[in-house]
Amino acid sequence: MISCTEFIPAYSELFGYLESRGGKQGVVAYWEYISDNFLGNLRELVEAHGLRGCWEYWSHTLNEEAADFAMELDEEAGEFIIEMHACPSKGLLDRLEHMKPYADYCGHCDILYRRVLEPLGFECLTDMSRIDQARCQLVVRLKPSQE
Amino acid sequence: MPKEVMRRQAADNEYLHKDFHGAMSCGIQYLQGTYGPEAVIEYLRRFSDAYHSPLKQKLIEQGLPALAEYTRGIYELEGGDIEIDLDDDEMVLRIAECPAVKHMTEHGYRVADMWVETTRTVNERLCEGTPFAFELLEYDERTGRSVQRFYRR
Repeated sequence: MISCTEFIPAYSELFGYLESRGGKQGVVAYWEYISDNFLGNLRELVEAHGLRGCWEYWSHTLNEEAADFAMELDEEAGEFIIEMHACPSKGLLDRLEHMKPYADYCGHCDILYRRVLEPLGFECLTDMSRIDQARCQLVVRLKPSQE
Repeated sequence: MPKEVMRRQAADNEYLHKDFHGAMSCGIQYLQGTYGPEAVIEYLRRFSDAYHSPLKQKLIEQGLPALAEYTRGIYELEGGDIEIDLDDDEMVLRIAECPAVKHMTEHGYRVADMWVETTRTVNERLCEGTPFAFELLEYDERTGRSVQRFYRR
C-alpha cells in the first residue's frame, strides 16, 4: 500500500511518467480523465446545492489535507473564494529534497475543477502567480447569464 | 444570507485525506487502460526509485528495523491492523485488512485491477540494490489482507 500521506509525491511522479509516455498532452488527458471520473462528489454537491456545494466539498478536503487557507461563500453575490495561504501538496513537494516535483504540478487544479464547474453554469478564475510560495486563489462565480 | 468565512491553519488539522487512495487507484486503472499493465509496473518502479531513495539507504545502512519503523508509522497513521515479526534477517508483516482497500470499498471507489502492485512492485523495487528481498506470500483482493515477507538474500 502506498499511504495516503505519500499520495502527493506519487501523483507528481505519475504526471512525470505520463509526460514521458505521451508528452504534455498525455498529462492533460489524464487530468481530464480524473475530472470526469473522480470528482463526481463535487459535481453532485454543486448540482444539488449550487455554490454551497463548493463550500461543502472543500470544507471536507481542505481540512483533511491540513491546508492553511481562508474560504468565503457569498451566496447573495454569487461568489465562492478559496485563498490558499499554504497549499499542503505544493508545500510537501517543495520540502522533499530528494525528489524533483513535476514542473506543472499545480496545473491539474485548474483543469480538474474548471471542467466540473463551468458546465454547471459557473466561471472559475485562478491566480497561480504565487505558487512558488505554495499560495494560490480560486474564485468561482455564477456566470452572468445564470444570475 | 450573510457571507460565510472559514479560516484554518495547517496545525488545526491532522494531515490524513484517505480519499487520496481513491485517486491513486484511479491513476493505476487509467495507466493500465491507456498504456497497458507494463506501464503500471514501470510507473511504480519509478515512484519507488524517486520517493523511497532515503528509505532504501536506511535499509542498506540499518537493516530491517528501519523498514519496520517506517511501516509501523504508516499503518498507525492509516489506522491499519498490522503485526510485525522482526529479526535481523527477516521481517514478516501480517496485515488484517488494507486500510486503503477498506476506505475505497466503504466510499464507493473502484479498487484498481492492479492495486496489489502498489505493494508488490513497490516493495520489490525498494529491496533492489539492498541485501534484502521481498515476497508477497498471501493477498486477498477483496480486503487487501496480506502476509508480506522481507528477507536477507
